[in-house]
Amino acid sequence: MLLLIQYTLIFASVLLLVALGGCFSEHSGVINIGLEGIMVMGALGGALMMKFLPGGTPAVAVILMVIVASVLLGILFSLLLGVAAIQFKADQTLVGTALNLLGTAAAVVVVRAINMAENPDNVSTTVSYMKEKEAFLLKIGKFEFNWFMLIALLLLIAAYVVLYKTRFGLRLCACGEHPQAADSVGINVYKMRYAGVIISGALGGLGGVVYITAGVSEWKFENGVAGFGFLALAVMIFGQWKPVNIGLAALLFGLFRALSNVYTGFDFLMKLNIPGTLYNMFPYIISLIVLIFVSKKSRAPKAEGIPYDKGQR
Amino acid sequence: MADYAIEMLNITKRFPGIIANDNITLQLKKGEIHALLGENGAGKSTLMSVLFGLYQPEEGEIHKDGRKVEINNPNDADALGIGMVHQHFKLVECFSVLDNIILGVETTKGGILQKDEARKKVLALSEKYGFQVDPNALIEDITVGMQQRTEILKMLYRDNEILIFDEPTAVLTPQEIQELMTIMKNLAAEGKSILFITHKLAEIMQVADRCSVLRKGKYIGTVDIKDTTPEKLSAMMVGRDVNFVVEKKPVKPGKVILDVQNMTVASKRHKNNAVNGVSLNVREGEIVCIAGIDGNGQTEFVYGLTGLEPLKEGKITLHGEDFTQMPIRKRSIKGMSHIPEDRHKHGLVLDYSLENNIVLQRYFEPQFTNKFGFLKKKEIRDYANRLIEQYDVRSGQGPITKARSMSGGNQQKAIIAREIDKNPELLVAVQPTRGLDVGAIEYIHKQLVAQRDAGKGVLLVSLELDEVMNVSDRILVMYEGEIVGEFDPKEVTVEELGLYMAGSKRKGA
Amino acid sequence: MNKKNNTRDSILRNDGFQTIIASLLCILLGLLVGYIVLLIINPSGAAGAISSILKNFLYYPSAAAATKYLGTTLVKASALLMCSLSVLFAYKVGLFNIGAAGQYVVGAGACLYCAIALHLPWIVCLLAAVLASAIVGGISGALKAYFNVNEVISCIMLNWIGLYAVNMLLTTVKEETTPYTKPLSSANSSAILPTLGLDKLFSNNKFVGLGLIISIVMAVLVWIILEKTKFGFELKATGMNKLAAKYCGMREKTNIILTMMISGALAGLGAACFYLTGVEQWMVQQTSVPSMGFNGIASAFLGGLNPIGAIFSSYFIQHITSGGSYVDKTMYCAQISDLISAFIIYLCGFVLFFKLWLNRYLDKREEKQGMKAQKGGEA
Repeated sequence: MLLLIQYTLIFASVLLLVALGGCFSEHSGVINIGLEGIMVMGALGGALMMKFLPGGTPAVAVILMVIVASVLLGILFSLLLGVAAIQFKADQTLVGTALNLLGTAAAVVVVRAINMAENPDNVSTTVSYMKEKEAFLLKIGKFEFNWFMLIALLLLIAAYVVLYKTRFGLRLCACGEHPQAADSVGINVYKMRYAGVIISGALGGLGGVVYITAGVSEWKFENGVAGFGFLALAVMIFGQWKPVNIGLAALLFGLFRALSNVYTGFDFLMKLNIPGTLYNMFPYIISLIVLIFVSKKSRAPKAEGIPYDKGQR
Repeated sequence: MADYAIEMLNITKRFPGIIANDNITLQLKKGEIHALLGENGAGKSTLMSVLFGLYQPEEGEIHKDGRKVEINNPNDADALGIGMVHQHFKLVECFSVLDNIILGVETTKGGILQKDEARKKVLALSEKYGFQVDPNALIEDITVGMQQRTEILKMLYRDNEILIFDEPTAVLTPQEIQELMTIMKNLAAEGKSILFITHKLAEIMQVADRCSVLRKGKYIGTVDIKDTTPEKLSAMMVGRDVNFVVEKKPVKPGKVILDVQNMTVASKRHKNNAVNGVSLNVREGEIVCIAGIDGNGQTEFVYGLTGLEPLKEGKITLHGEDFTQMPIRKRSIKGMSHIPEDRHKHGLVLDYSLENNIVLQRYFEPQFTNKFGFLKKKEIRDYANRLIEQYDVRSGQGPITKARSMSGGNQQKAIIAREIDKNPELLVAVQPTRGLDVGAIEYIHKQLVAQRDAGKGVLLVSLELDEVMNVSDRILVMYEGEIVGEFDPKEVTVEELGLYMAGSKRKGA
Repeated sequence: MNKKNNTRDSILRNDGFQTIIASLLCILLGLLVGYIVLLIINPSGAAGAISSILKNFLYYPSAAAATKYLGTTLVKASALLMCSLSVLFAYKVGLFNIGAAGQYVVGAGACLYCAIALHLPWIVCLLAAVLASAIVGGISGALKAYFNVNEVISCIMLNWIGLYAVNMLLTTVKEETTPYTKPLSSANSSAILPTLGLDKLFSNNKFVGLGLIISIVMAVLVWIILEKTKFGFELKATGMNKLAAKYCGMREKTNIILTMMISGALAGLGAACFYLTGVEQWMVQQTSVPSMGFNGIASAFLGGLNPIGAIFSSYFIQHITSGGSYVDKTMYCAQISDLISAFIIYLCGFVLFFKLWLNRYLDKREEKQGMKAQKGGEA
């Protein structure tokens, strides 16, 4: 049971971080379908940082460096979306999709190149970080507390404050709802949209590294992040683009994802004799069902997905 | 010279193929209300965009208080104290009134918004000018008039001195218009300089001190209002005498074509019904007009009538046949034509060619599609060419022109050609002349009258009182989703209609 | 001279011509980026690697071997072409069918199960794949039409659900010692698509056959549907302006569902044409969806969203993807091709802007010439 809570919390943290990222991007008016790719890049940055940090680095430094690496890579990668969608008014769905494919492909190429450089016979796409990963963990009795759970919670509070209580949040939301209005009062819509995309890159990247350290200690980059970026988008829609609701939605989805890891520990679940693959399918099926119920009356930012053109008034 | 608040001197702005502003001079005195008059396409918007730094003119300069200034973007304009109430409000609907007012000029402390000061200032301003605005209300919940006051408060909150009103009365009731006029006069008395863009002569005569007139991008002149008449202004605006009255024979209504009983349509915006128990009929050979202020259920009524929205209750019959549940396509085949309110949203597929748009309601007929489902391209082309000629639809490349690249007037003509050539029993025309110039308006009115004279029924929905009075044979006023009065245009005054449109009077139950 | 200028301008203004130019630019830039990445990994072999990617089957010195592998590339390209038709068809109605990948998976599952477990002949297997994929596509369409569920997200969810389901299903027909499904040649040779003698043309490459023809026919068919029929007229109108389509009485919801079903069917057909040749066996422990469907997005956009263009772009994308396996494995990995095609998709996002820019540039030049002409007239 404890294990279930632990996994639920860590997967919920991942979904929360990434969904909040999507939330910022969409409130600024840019649909970020590329979160999946951004997560992969963040994961790559974090994983490589863990791999190359010298042994014996203090835990705090490991955590910080890993966060910096994943956030930076996430931001850099999200800028590809920003430039295309904001500057060049590209189709956001198309570019987002390209980012997803690009993320996985680039990660595979990079990891292979590194692995092969170390050992020409090693053609795997796996990075392992068994020891370094322990820096994130804190054993409280049998419960493995992960610092990222706390970070996710803090970022949730921060996101709430930023969106609803600050000048930046007010302006950001204005750009996603009615960019012409924002422009007419002297707000630089392009800048705010870049800000939204960059924040989503940072949070998405961070979410990526949390994901690959959740429960495993090596990652095979061929697999990308198994649709987690899209689950996060479903969480965001379920949460109606509001941070607190997103938090609750993330917990729910986290629970279903966790079940596939730990269902073997529950006698009554084992008795049901459901094949393991079905548990793997669970989060995706649940999200489809959830989407059916919430999509009809969604309150998405009104101007999302529409490139802003100063000339058109 | 320093008694001018702002001067735009010899402004020329060209676009590919057109001179939008040709050597225009506009001088706004301090504390005056200055009207800027001109038809659609006369260059008013371009001139204002130049003033706001959205466009850079090729020639000419702008002076503020006698000194030359550079305005490169809206921020520069704002810094010079120039503010504008746009025709389409620039308000974020899910924000509160207060948030909209402070957006862009927020006070913060440690990055956190401080709204108390701002709220006090807004309340004080609101009281001073009698606005009665609730700063905490959401924009989507308040009336259009209140939204406009929010826009005015936005300017006052920023201490703007030069206030521009871009066609501010188009969306207001006659009573709200009167209130706005009072507000504008109060503002001018406080020393604000006001530029009032409009094409409504009565309003200019009532409120303005001076008036500058533009026509086809050229500056025609500036006159003192006390020395002029509406007729003179009108002649300056259009350059010829306009036939304000539509010529038509006396009405001879026949059998009932359309009969609507107790129609109720749910609203998408609020919990109440947008259309509430409306009953009406249209007979052969008459033009029935639904008048009312925008947003009183006319749009939803037409959606319900034409099948774009389902009815909650009620019954529609056309020539005795039940239309209530009928699919849109079948309604169209059975003789209902619909000139939609928004030609870009519903009326046209903008990226389709003109010929495809012309057959949009008939492409499936055997004359255009063979029995294997293939389109007969040649027949479509021939048909399009015939309509283009007959209805004088002008475009760059004829039938293969992309609809997007055509002018608004010609787009509308294409829709009208399409809908009328179907030879409908009932023509539903919603604001068919919106945004068009005088020539096009005259043309469209003639087409409507021709339909009526041919013994068809016409249901016209209009916001323009001139159009309502001139074209219709019978007027129904709609207010908050209900029909509140029925009138003969020959026996009612505009003022009387206004009272009904604003909901302060109603007839019957 | 003026006239010459004009004809040149009118070619430059031609939409089809602009699309071709834009696509070629995307390819060039994509290859350039690939080259730069190779340079960073190991500068010494980068040029060689790029040329192996571009050479693909020409890697083999003997003509016979080269034609044989050309055949294999064509088999894969025809599956890709069908995926790209699937993406393109849906996009015409304004839907982004990222689910082509999942529909492809389901199609593969259905045809392999029918072939190996049920021992059915190829035509039945083919139809089973088409049907199953059409249903999966139709689900996304129905969710969009009736519940307003974003089709991209529902498609992704269905991709994963489809992958797990197919893995589960095909585990029942896998070889005992390997994670692969039993080879068709031994399990049920009647399920293998007829080669129609085409194998002879490609040095007896027995995988080349009916699939190739089906894919080309489908491309032409899709083109005819879109350009010549009432159905295509409605689909495009719906894609360009949903509200106008509704206004003139087109059944928007039915059209959305129908389109997604056809889209799905195309992807499923692609899978059947690929797996029923026996060229590859399904690996039941796959943890990610095969890239065929995603590459379909690349070739659909690279082909300018034109079915005929897709024939060429699909071949190109498959050509470099297959070419990727010939790079020097001691230095690089085959996925460099995936990187290049992913980057090409990214660049396709800029095509619209490129055309806009080109037209604006031409407008300006025309205006200048017009002014010059005017001045000349005055003088």
